[in-house]
Amino acid sequence: MANPTPSHRPRPRKGRPATSPGSNNNLILDIGDGKQTPAFPLVSFLWAARAGVSQWLILPLILMAVGLFRWAVSLWGYSGFQVPPMHGDFEAQRHWMEITTHLPMAQWYTYDLQYWGLDYPPLTAYHSWLLGKIGSAFDPEWFALDASRGFEDTNLKVYMRATVVVSEYFVFIPAVVTFLRRYTRMQGVHAWSASIALAAILLQPGNILVDHGHFQYNTVMLGLVVASLDAIMAGRMLWACIFFVSALGFKQMALYYAPVMFAYLLGVCTFPRINIPRLFNIALITLASFALLLAPLLVGASNVKAREVFVTSPPPPLLQSLPIQVDKSSILYALLFQLTQVIHRVFPFARGLFEDKVANAWCAIHTFYKLTRFDATLLQRASLGATLASIIVPCAIIFRHPRASLLLPALSAVSWGFFLFSFQVHEKSVLLPLLPMTLLLAGDGGLSKEMRAWVGWANILGSWTMYPLLKRDELRIPYFVLTMLWAYLLGLPPTSFETYRSRVPRDTSSGQFEPSTLTTFLHFSFYVVMIAWHVLEAFVAPPSGKPDLWVVLNALIGAGGFGIAYLWCMWKLFTQCRQIDRQTAGEESQKKKQ
Amino acid sequence: MVELYPSLVQCAIVATAFKVLLFPAYKSTDFEVHRNWLAITHSLPVQEWYYEKSSEWTLDYPPFFAAFEWLMSQAAVYVDPAMLVVKNLGYESWQTVYFQRTTVILTELVLIYALSRFVKSTPLPNKNAAHVASLSILLSPGLFIIDHIHFQYNGFMYGILILSIVLARKQSTLLYSGILFAVLLCMKHIYLYLALAYFVYLLRTYCLDAKSIFRPRFGNIIKLGVCVVGVFAIAFGPFAQWGQLLQLKDRLFPFSRGLCHAYWAPNIWAMYSFTDRALIPLAPRLGLPVNYDALTSVTRGLVGDTSFAVLPEVTKEHTFILTFVFQLVPLIKVWRKPGCWDTFVGAITLCGYSSFLFGWHVHEKAILLIIIPFSLIALKDRRYFSAFRPLAVAGHVSLFPLLFTAAEFPLKTVYTILWLVLFLFIFDQVAPVSERPRIFVFDRLSLLYLTVSIPLIVYCSLGHQLIFGWDRLEFLPLMFMSSYSAIGVVGSWVGFMVVYFTA
Repeated sequence: MANPTPSHRPRPRKGRPATSPGSNNNLILDIGDGKQTPAFPLVSFLWAARAGVSQWLILPLILMAVGLFRWAVSLWGYSGFQVPPMHGDFEAQRHWMEITTHLPMAQWYTYDLQYWGLDYPPLTAYHSWLLGKIGSAFDPEWFALDASRGFEDTNLKVYMRATVVVSEYFVFIPAVVTFLRRYTRMQGVHAWSASIALAAILLQPGNILVDHGHFQYNTVMLGLVVASLDAIMAGRMLWACIFFVSALGFKQMALYYAPVMFAYLLGVCTFPRINIPRLFNIALITLASFALLLAPLLVGASNVKAREVFVTSPPPPLLQSLPIQVDKSSILYALLFQLTQVIHRVFPFARGLFEDKVANAWCAIHTFYKLTRFDATLLQRASLGATLASIIVPCAIIFRHPRASLLLPALSAVSWGFFLFSFQVHEKSVLLPLLPMTLLLAGDGGLSKEMRAWVGWANILGSWTMYPLLKRDELRIPYFVLTMLWAYLLGLPPTSFETYRSRVPRDTSSGQFEPSTLTTFLHFSFYVVMIAWHVLEAFVAPPSGKPDLWVVLNALIGAGGFGIAYLWCMWKLFTQCRQIDRQTAGEESQKKKQ
Repeated sequence: MVELYPSLVQCAIVATAFKVLLFPAYKSTDFEVHRNWLAITHSLPVQEWYYEKSSEWTLDYPPFFAAFEWLMSQAAVYVDPAMLVVKNLGYESWQTVYFQRTTVILTELVLIYALSRFVKSTPLPNKNAAHVASLSILLSPGLFIIDHIHFQYNGFMYGILILSIVLARKQSTLLYSGILFAVLLCMKHIYLYLALAYFVYLLRTYCLDAKSIFRPRFGNIIKLGVCVVGVFAIAFGPFAQWGQLLQLKDRLFPFSRGLCHAYWAPNIWAMYSFTDRALIPLAPRLGLPVNYDALTSVTRGLVGDTSFAVLPEVTKEHTFILTFVFQLVPLIKVWRKPGCWDTFVGAITLCGYSSFLFGWHVHEKAILLIIIPFSLIALKDRRYFSAFRPLAVAGHVSLFPLLFTAAEFPLKTVYTILWLVLFLFIFDQVAPVSERPRIFVFDRLSLLYLTVSIPLIVYCSLGHQLIFGWDRLEFLPLMFMSSYSAIGVVGSWVGFMVVYFTA
């Protein structure tokens, strides 16, 4: 910071960039007399940087600021705190660190399954092993086998919270930063707008509340998905496969995104002309990454001791249903056992259609028409059919038009489809559709009123549907603080109505970025209902005999809203696709003229 | 009127969101101190306030602060009456925590108001700088660590102080400035350290004619005298009536404490102790006598007597004389330049410096007494800023030992680094060029000083434990931190003295 020359004059400053930094996103409002004001509070926090300040300064500042909010949330309660005997997600993650560090790999997926048996894919297991090893260096008592069950200690809490933050800063944050840099450049968005979008994305309330409040490692999986998207934007398809397989290998929930990724990669190999070597490469790399992912587990299962364990334990149902008979003492049996056991644990088909009260279609239907009367297999098929029906259109579009810029709306639409119609959905899974939708903020016009209104509304609704869960974890205050803070920073209700107030006539060029009357009406009714629900929930006891009435009401309203969000993402996908088509058609006709 | 972004209110909203999230954070015994005062003032008659001693944390703030606690206790009844029971020692239900933490946040509104008055009172060409400075105070890591985690009401008190300083800017509001400062003294007597600057400034600018000191303005003298005496009469009158003044004196000025506080505040005496320690192994070779009794007591710098093994003892009288002398020096300039507000603020800052550097039993929290007034003029030009820079680093880093729990470690370090990077950068952009050339050597030293802070923080927070383990030589990081900070504070003091007298 010191001046290199011994003069006392400040260095000459760089001139303003030629293009207006807020042009495509309407970040700077002219209020007459040549005066300018920021469009919403988040813009004013970066106001001083609008003339262009080095990313080396802005980026660390944003990362430190959002990190502080994360750590502050982590001071609050976590899932299952002081709730014996099973506790919650915190205990599950701690328990996995305990078993992976103490047991041979052959037992990871078989050890005492009744007490939080490992049911996440291998990468989570490896991640737990690493964290468990590091944690044991601090204090072996935290992860002592069996003896540490339900262990609660402030130092352990600090360590576990720190692992979430560190994992996020190693995976999610670099992925989002590089993705945004590439994506905004591709979309021709000014670096200043990109910084604002980055701050907005990293302050997304849902992610912070679930990962740093409730306790999970979702951002690792989400970060791997973003890394995969970044690789696609960069045209490195093979890296995209590797990252996406890692995401799947960390948390099976990444399957919500898989159809779009599949359709896109297939599309890239098919249009404009069929490219067999590319398809072959992609398939090979994908298979190789899966093999690499499973290799340590399979190697661990092939030694003599492990084989002895498998001989005596009951075979997983998937192995039983295999048509071939394998000698129980052979290596092949051990490998098959391990593989099928992992699959059996990771995909729990035996569970019900939905758990708890989730804001999806099945739970909504169940409220009025009890679905338990049907056979489980029938329900599974119905769920599969409905999910496929909801995702087929976006997948077809992305297959026919494999454009990187269409990926975000397609991913949002498909994951909303999964959330609404698929099997075994958790309320926390709402983070999956919210991620690509929130990333839209960084695109062209992403911070315009219309986009901000929709993305903000979906996020606030998403956190709102998680309120019953957060309330159980004593996270009410962080919920209100973070949600309201996000709404405030982005200039959204209930803190401000500016976003829905039209300043420009609709027929002008910037009119397309203004929210329509229908949007305003829909959003306002949802905001009113959400506030009314909070008042009801806080001050009115539910009628006797229906203790869960408010929670069910929450899920019903949420399901309605998410349905609308699904339709909006579909519509976005359609319009963006048509726009691109028109652009390419125009370019081609120009070329022909030349 | 130029609008500046982000506005004070916008920053306050985001900062409040963050502070609310810190409700469950670590809180020091000061939390229980204030709860106990709530209980005392609520459930006992005023005559007994300064005699009650169920808790070891007896009421030791002046009467207006007690009245302030009484006022808050009126609201506390509706939140959780159990916190107002004197015998409920160490009571901390979540209602109590939420209530007390909320009062800290709400009373900080005074600070926001004072800062907005400060920006308004600044003439246009410097408005931007004033705005930046006020944001830096609002978001100060000092207030953040001390008030919102450790627990105290400094935001409120410094709000009153800044308001009083701002009111001193115009001749027409000088009287209110004096009254407000008197009120502040009756809330927390630590501000006595700044009283001399107020006394000289008000005497010269308000009570005497600007042109000649031999023409007293009797009307002003009477107004000011009546008002200030009135304030003190309201505060202490009832206690004088009951014959409790001696008891109050014992409570407010407990002189049985030692020279240095538990954690050494980064002042001259910390450097003195450090030198003493360093001389112990050398003393036999130099032929100095060593006081072996002192060897056992001084090591950890605990509350109580600090005695020195090699260097001569320091008595209270020494510290008083030193403090007084170094306060008087800058006041000469205040006397000679009547009505110069910048000089007045500079003098307040220097009074803060001398009391912090030479005072008896100085608390590291008292560093705010320097940083906050200094922030108001740090952006006057680049010379002021270069004196401010080492203070900003040293002063805030020296507060780190206040929070020693693992969960708060990332909060204090990341927040302070964020603040330092952000504001030192913006200050650097905003501070206008000085009319006089900068002092080259001083700039280099200041840069070197900043650079050293990074490895030092790393060593003290992580490196030391990795090398020596958790319980060996545990005083070493504290001593390094304290000496490092002391060098920074003393260096910035010397630098500011030069700037102040040459400006």
